[in-house]
Amino acid sequence: MTLIAICCFSVIMAFATLFTKDTFYSALYMSITLITIAGMYALNNIQPVFVLITFIFVGAIGAVTVALAAMYRDPRPKLQIDFVWFIPAIITFAVIFNSIFGFNNIPSAFTNSEISVFVEEYVVFVLFFFSLAILLMLAVVKFVRREGV
Amino acid sequence: MMVYVVIVTSIAILLIGYIMAMSSKELIRLLISLELMFGAVFLALMPLFTVPNLTTSAFGIAVLTVFTSGGELMILIAAMVTFSKKFRSISTDDILVGGDRI
Repeated sequence: MTLIAICCFSVIMAFATLFTKDTFYSALYMSITLITIAGMYALNNIQPVFVLITFIFVGAIGAVTVALAAMYRDPRPKLQIDFVWFIPAIITFAVIFNSIFGFNNIPSAFTNSEISVFVEEYVVFVLFFFSLAILLMLAVVKFVRREGV
Repeated sequence: MMVYVVIVTSIAILLIGYIMAMSSKELIRLLISLELMFGAVFLALMPLFTVPNLTTSAFGIAVLTVFTSGGELMILIAAMVTFSKKFRSISTDDILVGGDRI
């Protein structure tokens, strides 16, 4: 159930990345999406990949992207969506969905025991990391707003 | 059930990244869309970890993916900064290929 909630949250954040007018906030939503993806690895007790994604991908490249988005911020942001592209995207989704679930028998081997072990051992560490990431993003938001005044 | 949810999420994020890349008018949004797509790739790797015999290989693929995608994005960032210094713009309308405007 937790995994489903995190998946829904990550898709919502990805849509927020797409629909946000301001590029800076789009980069922030993208970072949250990547952190939730890393969180799914942590939830399934795959700690090495969680560390790789959070520290290298979100920590380095995501932070550079947020900084660049703040630097090249458009004072008059506008929506950048071409709705015509939704049609081929939906068709592609249908084709991939059918090819994956129509012809293959995918095993579902995520177990609850691993999740419970994770919660007991790593919850403080993960909470600390998320707090640190939120603090960093808040600092960047504050900096950008101060520059904009 | 959980693996199915992860795969569907991965496909959804990948296609959102595609739509964003196709619609982007700025290079920054193109960069963000690429990162979304790589995030979807990471998510698609997760079912490999459910097979005990493939765990080591899956971790190797994950490490390769992280470093390859990281290098690719860094090159794009460097190209974007160079483009901005040269043309004083990050609009995709200003991109030229062989003297022709895209």
